[in-house]
Amino acid sequence: MKILVIEDERSLLASIVQYFTQEKFICDTAGSYHEGIHKIEGFQYDCIILDINLPGGSGLQLLKYLRQNKSRDGVIIISARDSLDDKIDGLDLGADDYLTKPFHLSELNARVRALIRRKYAAGANVLQVGPLKADLLSRTIIYSEQPISLSKNEYDLLLFLMTNKNRVVSRQAIAEHIHDGPSDQIPSFDFVYSHIKNVKKKLKEKGCQEIIQSVYGLGYKLFS
Amino acid sequence: MTKTLQQKSTRYFLIWLPLVLLLGTGLFYILMSAHAHHMEEEQLELKQENIWNAIIANREDRAVHITGEYDLAKGSPVPRDLLDIQRDTVIYYPVSKDWRPFKLLTEQHVLSGQPYQLTTYISSREITHLIIKVFIADVFVFILLLAAVVVINGISSGLLWQPFYATLKAVQTYDINQNQSLPLDGQTGTREFDQLNEVISHLIGHVNQAYSNQKQFTENASHELQTPLAIIRSKLDLLIDSSTLTEETAGLLADITEANDRLSQLNKNLLLLTKIDNHQFTDQSSVGVSEAIEKLLSHYQEHHGGDSPIIRKSIQPGIGIKANASLIDILLSNLLNNAFVHNIPNGYIDVRLANWSLIIENTGHSIEGGTEWLFERFKKGREESKTTGLGLSLVQRICRIYHFDLQYDYGENIHRITVTFPQI
Repeated sequence: MKILVIEDERSLLASIVQYFTQEKFICDTAGSYHEGIHKIEGFQYDCIILDINLPGGSGLQLLKYLRQNKSRDGVIIISARDSLDDKIDGLDLGADDYLTKPFHLSELNARVRALIRRKYAAGANVLQVGPLKADLLSRTIIYSEQPISLSKNEYDLLLFLMTNKNRVVSRQAIAEHIHDGPSDQIPSFDFVYSHIKNVKKKLKEKGCQEIIQSVYGLGYKLFS
Repeated sequence: MTKTLQQKSTRYFLIWLPLVLLLGTGLFYILMSAHAHHMEEEQLELKQENIWNAIIANREDRAVHITGEYDLAKGSPVPRDLLDIQRDTVIYYPVSKDWRPFKLLTEQHVLSGQPYQLTTYISSREITHLIIKVFIADVFVFILLLAAVVVINGISSGLLWQPFYATLKAVQTYDINQNQSLPLDGQTGTREFDQLNEVISHLIGHVNQAYSNQKQFTENASHELQTPLAIIRSKLDLLIDSSTLTEETAGLLADITEANDRLSQLNKNLLLLTKIDNHQFTDQSSVGVSEAIEKLLSHYQEHHGGDSPIIRKSIQPGIGIKANASLIDILLSNLLNNAFVHNIPNGYIDVRLANWSLIIENTGHSIEGGTEWLFERFKKGREESKTTGLGLSLVQRICRIYHFDLQYDYGENIHRITVTFPQI
């Protein structure tokens, strides 16, 4: 899988690249509008992570250029602007997803993977992580041929952990992921703990032991 | 007590003008009676002369005495020291049976070697009457003058100050939040008012500029803050995933993460407040309040377990208003959030929506002192609460935009916020 990250903030760019490299992606970068144009003209990417405020031009212009010229490359906008209008503008121009800064890298990873699945792997609606199998169409998780009955939130949580397998995912990232509304409307993250507890219990009932590990109360990790 | 300009100037006129007029009236009376008496004296002297000339010219056929006109006496019956002096007297008129005031003048004359004394009379009643009548007329004229001055002053000061009142009215309607320019008449025809309007226009221009600069600054600052916050968050995500993590660093990371999240949230809310102030939420649609509350409540119920408060609700379905959907969502979620965050263990939240009013009642800690500050920015109920202190401020701002009535009641560790929507 090959992705292009267009972001002028070097430090943030480095974080994204580090995370996705660890996820076995091939990462290409661009720090400006023109560099971005140059890269998309020359190469094909599975997914482009695009910042809006770029030196030399707007990310939205770049997106327009991309869509006019050829490719159906998947595009995820990452922007500090969080108003509905900005999101609609971005999606109207052909972006596939829109993520507001600041975001969790695990969330970005989940979005990128979901996008790639949707766009390129039509039909491959099963995600296999270790002994667990997620059927994305029927929204069920299967362990050794037995479906595990999970609530909507529990399913979202487990799928999120599976997508970010072998990594520590912070409590905040989980909370924001399974909470539909904006993250600032979550009074506390305590509910993450009770959901994790329930998921672990249900997995255990089916004979799946110790697949999810808590990391010093900071977050959780799912081993494949 | 403050009075209007017109009342004040009228009051000054009413205090000073009667005094001046009274003084004028007195002076007028003195001068007029002096002149009148002088005229009387001249007339009496003229009469003396005329009658004596008539007596000389008409010696044979002359009357000795005509009542109220003259007396001719032979010899010198009147003592010398009373001669040539005008004196007052009264004469009895038998027909009308009254005494009438007269002035008399006696002079010594000689005719054909014989001494004569001629006394002439002039009635002083007419003059006195004239003085009184003129004086009364004068008083009437003065009263009329006073009334006219007061009325004219009232009308003219109303007209004169009209540009001032227009300016005052315009300034009263000025609202800095609207960032409106204030069109003031620069050609009022009065130099002072032109200057005043010019100065006010200038001042308001400055104020608007400063205010929009400040808002722009807040918005820019908030936007700029997002990037470093995003960097910190991404680095934290990488850090918690690193293999070198120990329990000690994990504790530090937990604290940093929490502080960073609060900072993000604070920044978001600050940006939101600025956007509301900048009227960036203008598009309206009909928003189902009942559905929105139900949705939020089910959300909260899903995400809370353990000692979270019990939710009681009675929501009248089908209540909708015309507003910006995002703002209403922010309003409702902040209200509910507030009820959750400031609750106590085993407390409750009671949500009632009926008759266009939303009542959210919750148990909570007691509030020290007054509660007026509750909706101000960065005011928090308790020191340790991990909130941004902007939630209720947002609520208030949104209520103000849509003219929702917002009320807060507090009693016995129970807090109640009532929002009344205008009926459609």
